[in-house]
Amino acid sequence: MLIEARDLSYTYMPGTPFQVDALKKVNMSIARGEFVGVIGETGSGKSTLVQHFNGLLKPTGGELLVEGKNIWEGNTNLRTLRSRVALLFQYPEHQLFEETVFKDVAFGPRNLGMSEAELEQRVRFGLASMGLDFDTYRERSPFHLSGGEKRRVAMAGIMAMRPEVVVLDEPTAGMDPAGRLKFMEQVSRLHREENLTVILVTHNMEEIARLAEKLFVFYRGELVMQGLPAEVFKSVDLIRETGLEIPVLSDLLQQLLRKGKDIRTDLFTVPEVAEEILRFSREEWK
Amino acid sequence: MISPIIETIQLSYDYTLDGEKVIRALDNISLEITEGEYVCLIGPNGSGKSTLARHLNALLLPAAGDVYVDGLLTGKEENRWEIRRRVGLVFQNPDNQIVATTVEEDVAFGLENMGIDPPLIRQRVAEALELVGMSSLAQHAPHLLSGGQKQRLAIAGIIAMRPRCLVLDEPTAMLDPRGRREVLSTIRMLNRQEKVTVVHITHFMEETLDADRIIVMDRGQIAYSGTPEEVFSGEIDLGSLEMDMPAIPALASALREKGMPVPQNTLTVDQLVEYLC
Repeated sequence: MLIEARDLSYTYMPGTPFQVDALKKVNMSIARGEFVGVIGETGSGKSTLVQHFNGLLKPTGGELLVEGKNIWEGNTNLRTLRSRVALLFQYPEHQLFEETVFKDVAFGPRNLGMSEAELEQRVRFGLASMGLDFDTYRERSPFHLSGGEKRRVAMAGIMAMRPEVVVLDEPTAGMDPAGRLKFMEQVSRLHREENLTVILVTHNMEEIARLAEKLFVFYRGELVMQGLPAEVFKSVDLIRETGLEIPVLSDLLQQLLRKGKDIRTDLFTVPEVAEEILRFSREEWK
Repeated sequence: MISPIIETIQLSYDYTLDGEKVIRALDNISLEITEGEYVCLIGPNGSGKSTLARHLNALLLPAAGDVYVDGLLTGKEENRWEIRRRVGLVFQNPDNQIVATTVEEDVAFGLENMGIDPPLIRQRVAEALELVGMSSLAQHAPHLLSGGQKQRLAIAGIIAMRPRCLVLDEPTAMLDPRGRREVLSTIRMLNRQEKVTVVHITHFMEETLDADRIIVMDRGQIAYSGTPEEVFSGEIDLGSLEMDMPAIPALASALREKGMPVPQNTLTVDQLVEYLC
């Protein structure tokens, strides 16, 4: 197991009137190369959870293990951990600060003490990983890019660190449909081709259903459900109780199933669902 | 003939970048919005949606052309306070719109600035909170509210001023699914029940399905304007405008391509279920 939480709890401001139990005895594990989704309403503990994965927060109860080792025991180097498990915060474009895209993407690797030649390789890799052309972007000011480009540059800065795991906290909030698609296409390509482990926190149910291999559902600090997207979104009532929504296409397939149609409900893209509907219609005609 | 609540006539607007390069954000836009209409504005980032929204209550003034709100020209300085009372603007980030330490004081802020009598302020605040379903939270501290509640609070603050038109610039972009549902049903209720004209900017195509009209913007111009049935019939190439289709119309379109005669006006799950069963 790459990342594992055992009875992980986190309490903000313990012992004060403002005490909040943000996570309550969470047990979960993520394997290398998985693409998982973490969903739940605002305040359900998602962001608190993912900040444990690279040691930004220390559990107030239980433990967090990376490759079987409790990161808060013994001699885990948190700096090294953070370059292996990288976190892309919400609105990462607010953290761009350099004069050129090259300098901004190079910032992390430069802090690792690399030579200029190595640095250029890393920046090339980072930009290419987000589908940005090196020569087109290297000298441009990050502040004059479009919103979608800025966000991909921020992600390029993370990829330039060559992490094994990326945690993306609402990476596409506020982006237009084309920007969302381009961003997520690059991420799933990195997952497929580079075996990148991806942990995606999102409010976008359609997106997560399509991309994730496994979902973790949080509600008021507890992990209330986990499984394949198809299994999780079958529990319509529970999903709605936790403040979430099921994807529109899942809603359609499940209504058809309830009406007695012989139809699969584990499909999340328009072409797949279209094929499935055509299949059962053809069979009904026979 | 009913006169429009909002009318733009050959409206253009330019941004200046680095003090020299001029970018045309709005290019010759002529548009009429009828009182009571629910209009959704969609288009890629940078297509001019927010710039247009900011012209509707005189936060921005045209470089060329005119904007009339309820017959008042936005370019005339003496009209501006009245225009801003009649057209309220709600932005994307709820945290940037809160000014007071309790919910009811926050709603009262605009009314106090208008110099309204305290007893009437109390009444209006109570009514506005009732409308957005937040009466029980009147004494709460705004920063402890959920995202959806904060956005409904921002809407209440505007509704209390009894505007004729509500302009919302991506009001659900930062919300979770429950918050999004709350805000959308509040907007719809204000439009249907209170007859407030709504201009709603969004990147979520699913949110546009029960608008009266969708306006698609592209590079500062209106690329297309029509009902949801027309815009999502599959006849318009939304992909080339960097937009996508909501799931059900996209599916209906895919089924039609494969020879299944799904009606062109299929927008919702219920409609498609009914057709297929």
